[in-house]
Amino acid sequence: MSTSTHNPVPAGDQPMAQTAAQKFLRDAATKSADLVHREIIRKNMESYDAAHMRGRGRFKNWEAARRKCQEIKREAIENLDKYLLQFEEKVTARGGHVFWAANSDEACTYIKDLALSRGVKTIVKSKSMVTEEMHLTPVLEEVGIRVWETDLGEYIVQLRNEPPYHIVTPAMHLNRQQIRDLFREKLGEDVPDADPQKLVALARRKLREAFFAAEMGISGANFLVADIGAVAITTNEGNGRLSTSLPRIHVAVTGIEKVIPRLEDLGTFWPVLATSGTGQPITTYSTLVAGPRKPGEADGPEEFHVVLLDNGRSGLLANAEEREVLTCIRCGACLNICPVYKNVGGHTYNTTYPGPIGSVLTPHLRGGEFEHLSYASSLCGACTSVCPVNINLHHHLLHNRRDFTKAGKDKAGRMQFRMWQKAMLNPRLFAFGGWMMRSSLRLLYRLGLAGTALDPMRAWTRKRTRVPLPETSFRARWKKELGRDQSGSK
Amino acid sequence: MPRKISLFVPCFVDQLQPEVAVDTVKVLRRLGCEVDFPEDQSCCGQPAFNSGFWDEARPCAERFLRVFKDAETIVCPSGSCTTMVRVFYPELVSSALHDEAVAVGKRTFELSEFLVKVMGVTDVGATFPHSVTYHASCHGLRELKLKNEPLQLLRGVKGLKLVDMLRFDECCGFGGTFATKFESISVAMGESKADSIAVTGAEYVTAIDPSCLMHVQGIMGHRKDRAKAIHLASILASEA
Amino acid sequence: MAANNPSREAILARIRAGLRTPMPPLEAKTFTDPIFEPVGDPLERFQQECKANLMEMNLTSDFDGSARVLAQVLASFPAGEIFLQDDPILRRLLESSGAMRETRWSSQGGPREISQATVTLAEALVAQTGSIFVTSACGGRGATVVAPVHIVYATTSQLVPDLVTALRNATHEGKLENNSYGCMISGSSRTADIEKILVQGAHGPIRLVVILEKNS
Repeated sequence: MSTSTHNPVPAGDQPMAQTAAQKFLRDAATKSADLVHREIIRKNMESYDAAHMRGRGRFKNWEAARRKCQEIKREAIENLDKYLLQFEEKVTARGGHVFWAANSDEACTYIKDLALSRGVKTIVKSKSMVTEEMHLTPVLEEVGIRVWETDLGEYIVQLRNEPPYHIVTPAMHLNRQQIRDLFREKLGEDVPDADPQKLVALARRKLREAFFAAEMGISGANFLVADIGAVAITTNEGNGRLSTSLPRIHVAVTGIEKVIPRLEDLGTFWPVLATSGTGQPITTYSTLVAGPRKPGEADGPEEFHVVLLDNGRSGLLANAEEREVLTCIRCGACLNICPVYKNVGGHTYNTTYPGPIGSVLTPHLRGGEFEHLSYASSLCGACTSVCPVNINLHHHLLHNRRDFTKAGKDKAGRMQFRMWQKAMLNPRLFAFGGWMMRSSLRLLYRLGLAGTALDPMRAWTRKRTRVPLPETSFRARWKKELGRDQSGSK
Repeated sequence: MPRKISLFVPCFVDQLQPEVAVDTVKVLRRLGCEVDFPEDQSCCGQPAFNSGFWDEARPCAERFLRVFKDAETIVCPSGSCTTMVRVFYPELVSSALHDEAVAVGKRTFELSEFLVKVMGVTDVGATFPHSVTYHASCHGLRELKLKNEPLQLLRGVKGLKLVDMLRFDECCGFGGTFATKFESISVAMGESKADSIAVTGAEYVTAIDPSCLMHVQGIMGHRKDRAKAIHLASILASEA
Repeated sequence: MAANNPSREAILARIRAGLRTPMPPLEAKTFTDPIFEPVGDPLERFQQECKANLMEMNLTSDFDGSARVLAQVLASFPAGEIFLQDDPILRRLLESSGAMRETRWSSQGGPREISQATVTLAEALVAQTGSIFVTSACGGRGATVVAPVHIVYATTSQLVPDLVTALRNATHEGKLENNSYGCMISGSSRTADIEKILVQGAHGPIRLVVILEKNS
């Protein structure tokens, strides 16, 4: 890992190959300056903020709700093997299949082989961030299977051939005219006034054919309920229900950490998830799938498969200090409140999970290439203040930073801070160093060199007036006058 | 018996914004406190700590504990530095010093916290006949849980017209080294904050963290916005 | 297929090894207020929440009243096949309503795409959130989601105050053991994926109609 993560190279001096960190800086710079983007996101988030506050007002004691959810998730994660086995036993007893996948490849292969062996030509998918993590769709399309995203936002970004922008609202970055134009180009149908109602009706019509024709439905899982052995899926649109009702095979894909102990726990999680995700009291369709159709049932899939994906989660589990990161219920609240996310947008993170949870989680799941995400934060702590399961997100960012530097990856940074430390441990050196810095900067600026390559503060002075450079420090004044005068007079 | 206060002056306040500390001394003395400045202090270690260099930050923290060992009450005009001592020192210092860190943390207060919660005053005898809007610095708000104290003090200032800001609790974008390492994001966040300030029409924006104010002033100055940044201590030190 | 799953043991082993070190304990905390305000009158609350959920709530005092409402509702959308959960109560209700429509019953299979509406019973009604709890016993899975109009016939004795109670009951009664599928429905289908503007009628029903008969 080069030092460029921590000493970012200005855009003009890029070497040929671009690291993920360098790409992040470029994209962040572009997006942060994009005022149209800033305005769209600001409006969306304002809408969310208002709904969210209304939603929280429906709770008598929101803090007690957060605490309860935190405790339930901790109970689940601290006994993960036990609850996963209980879940597996119940599902299997009903004729369902549970497949444990160590990594994305194994999971994709299982699903692909299943689809091929069953003659599947068309798949309908309801939203699943885990399948994004796995890059499942290209694997299926490669063998000639048509995959339809059915969540409206996912359907839109699929048509645009881009990844989801946000884990809950995938097409947040687009306005209705852009969506109208997209539908006109890709679906061959126009909605001249770009009325959202009509756009939705058009998407519904198009996807209807897919729902009824598909041989397989793939869903995610918001929760895995251990005591009854069921997959809980929440949607507002109903696409999660159609995908799991009409096709003859249903595959639910999930991370291993999604398990909760009891069905009644959903009595707390459903309202909390909906409130944090969209401000609703509960998501319109909170579905429970316990197995394939039973004899005597009017309809339903003949086959039910649950794919449990590890993909680095068990490694993170082993880190007791960071384990609580696995209690995330993927509500998106931390994304919505994060000022960094609001300015750079979901795509800049260039990885499946953006925002604060993504910044904390990704380096653990995907390794050193994404360390920079933990640094791209002012540590404001807003994320922690809204997390419904009380994950101490910004403190985890600090821990990530600590662990990366401990691994010795930033030699230049370490040297800088060793020198800094020497000055800080020696007050006379500190006072002298401070005086030197102020004096030399004053001279530099007097020579009109602010913002040039010679200005060590140019990353400050480009868009901000320079910091004050007083003649006298506080300690000098204290020594001279303040230390002696104990009266409060002018 | 007058209270004995040991002043904890953030390193960058000492070097770049000394008036914040000068005004802090003025306010405390006006209220009858005896103020001392342990000259051996330097930096609380926050820059190294936030960058992940905990081994390099640790000696600074342990030094702080030594320098302020005998201080009865420590007051600091910065939410982030106070947070460093109270919230993070126990985790940072060696286990042998853990209890001492906790104890020192209990005696360390941010200025508005000290005035309102410890001294129980909200009127410090200040006059500041201007319109002022308040930015809630992140550490003070979320780590020290200071929601009302700065506002109570501002309401106690003669002639001051307090104007509410939208998204007053949204981060200004300073974030320490973040301000230069992720310049574009920091500036965008600062611009959003400057926009919120401009909407209020206030002459001044104030906060308990001098670093926020330095950053926001930089943005507003560059844009030639009307408002000026001023630290809470300087408002409280103002007299007719 | 799942018989050949070599990673299963490896994953379980990694989980067990990882969990040998417990998480640092949480600071003890007590709360005086409950998470939710207790539900007052369940019927009143249910009606309020239905309204907020944009559901059509029709309160009737007897079977005949319910049959009349059903007739009205069936007349309010275009002609065409309707799908009903095959239950003696619904057969009687449909007959009493006098409505003449092409019908398909769940005993014949799932609803067809041409269905204009579905009619089902419910397992329970939840006052806290204005929710209808259904399972695949209510005519199958598609019965409560496929058609543009979903009509639910229920009685006030099916009301429970809150979600936790409903789910506890469902667990004790083995609802997801005896049925492969359940759903807590709290409104008609909607989406806000376009500019965060709420649009009714995404993939599920555009109208959710409840005929709620008061038990004596």
